Amino acid sequence: MDRNRLQHQVACMRRSLFDQGYLDEPFIQLEELQDDANPNFVQEIVTLFYTNSARLIQNIEHALNSRPIDFNKLDDHMHQFKGSSSSIGAKKVTNECTVFRDYCSAENAEGCSRSFQQVKQEYAILRRKLEVYLQMVRQAAVSQTA
Amino acid sequence: MAPAFPSGDDWTNFGIGGRPNYKRFSFRDIVLRNRLTALVVDGVNFCRMVEEGFLRACGVETQGVDNGDAAVELIASGAKFDLIVIDMYLPILDGLETTRRIRAMGTRCKMVGVSASFSERDGQAFLAAGVDALSEKPLSPEILVPILRELDGQYSSI
Repeated sequence: MDRNRLQHQVACMRRSLFDQGYLDEPFIQLEELQDDANPNFVQEIVTLFYTNSARLIQNIEHALNSRPIDFNKLDDHMHQFKGSSSSIGAKKVTNECTVFRDYCSAENAEGCSRSFQQVKQEYAILRRKLEVYLQMVRQAAVSQTA
Repeated sequence: MAPAFPSGDDWTNFGIGGRPNYKRFSFRDIVLRNRLTALVVDGVNFCRMVEEGFLRACGVETQGVDNGDAAVELIASGAKFDLIVIDMYLPILDGLETTRRIRAMGTRCKMVGVSASFSERDGQAFLAAGVDALSEKPLSPEILVPILRELDGQYSSI
């Protein structure tokens, strides 16, 4: 594909990720950490985010399925997940984490379960979009060096 | 060659969600005149990598540990830092107790307490334990850069 068109597509997709509220300012800060000394920083950090998130989601699921539910532990796990989503600028995911924590502090198990489905859904959507976006970025970079 | 993301200039064409364009505060805005060192204490390795990345981008020599015990041991062994960034929730020894112990050892450096979110009570407790400032994650340049400038200035005025 023509290099300029690729770059334009990358810029458009990036704009929509921000305009539609999937990503926020912290993601821009992370992009600025990528340079020739750290050429793959964004991909590395995003991959670490996925690994981290998978672990935390598993911990939350386990805590939600325990009887009785330990709401303190549940809140701790979600607090960590919220911290990492906000650190990558995952705006919608972070917002759903806040909703979950409200149910958690009210010790509302059903509310927690429902909002956790929302958290997982937003995370899955973001992950898909990020994977597509970063693949396009890589393609554009390859076309620049060609 | 590193993949190039749309640059800051591109935001003049693609403003975020129609917001008016403004000069963004970046971690690369600061130029330190002195050698500064920092310790990041965060049990979530992804968050620690982000925090260390931001500090290094500012030109700060940065180390990271993933629990409170390791932080206390490091300082007890004589390591000195100009800045400590510490998460409230830490495995093994929590952020509050870690801060108290670091202060009890006579450490007077700047400490910034971080957390995904702070309740009024948590924030007050963290300050009472000995941190100088609080920041919700992620560490923003608006909070970090003025602190680094202040620390850099302290060296310059000696």
